[in-house]
Amino acid sequence: MVNKLTENELWILSFYRTSEISGALFFGRLARSMKPGLIQRDMTKHFSDESQHAWYWTSCVQRFGTLPLKLSHAYQDKYLEAAGMPANLMEVLAITQTFEKRVIAQYALHSRVPDLKPEILETFNKIMEDEKWHIEWVGEALKRMEPEYGKSYIQDTLKRYWKADKKIYGEVLKEHEDRVKDLLRYRQRTA
Amino acid sequence: MSMASRDEVRAKMAESLQHPVKKLQDDAILTDWVTDSMILVNMVIDLQEDFGIRLVQEDLKDVKTVGQLLAVFERKMSG
Repeated sequence: MVNKLTENELWILSFYRTSEISGALFFGRLARSMKPGLIQRDMTKHFSDESQHAWYWTSCVQRFGTLPLKLSHAYQDKYLEAAGMPANLMEVLAITQTFEKRVIAQYALHSRVPDLKPEILETFNKIMEDEKWHIEWVGEALKRMEPEYGKSYIQDTLKRYWKADKKIYGEVLKEHEDRVKDLLRYRQRTA
Repeated sequence: MSMASRDEVRAKMAESLQHPVKKLQDDAILTDWVTDSMILVNMVIDLQEDFGIRLVQEDLKDVKTVGQLLAVFERKMSG
């Protein structure tokens, strides 16, 4: 007999799915307007990965005999409010780098929670491989932008988004405290 | 920026937002035309790619309307 997801597990996996969809839509639109080049190529792959991840979460939830919840907001929606609208491609990549590092840290934390259902762990493992590449290509693209934007300006932008991300992450955990209480307990124990 | 190129930016803006250009009057509020503010980020990047200019966050901090965004492009393209 197939295990059932708890209400909180269903909510968290649906939240991950919604964030992956938001990422896919954002990068899909951006990839469509990029001039030919490495960024165009890598952003297209990135967009394709994010939509694949949304499918992985959908499929993972379905394996427990249910379907993902419809959630209206994704994690990254909060970035604009906290850090302002990115105004150029470098700022978009800096915010992406920040977000991807947050995703991998969150998925790594969640994947270590004791007694995690194997279907969920399997999904994390599949997605985290892609996430590593996302951090890599964005980091390389930012490096190539140094002559145009200046290394210190790029570093300052990354620092600004890190600061914003810490604030957002704290707010999201607080807002959904009841949903993520198991994760929070695990995080406190291993900190 | 000449009238023609201002119209050209407006036309690109309409194309990116997938709205009729005549709806994007100068006093139109940008956020009224999108369901998700990331679409505005896409549009601004799209316009910079098309017109070969670069904006920084400071340029956009007071921008709320189509006319204000066109004025930013006007300044950058003439500068």
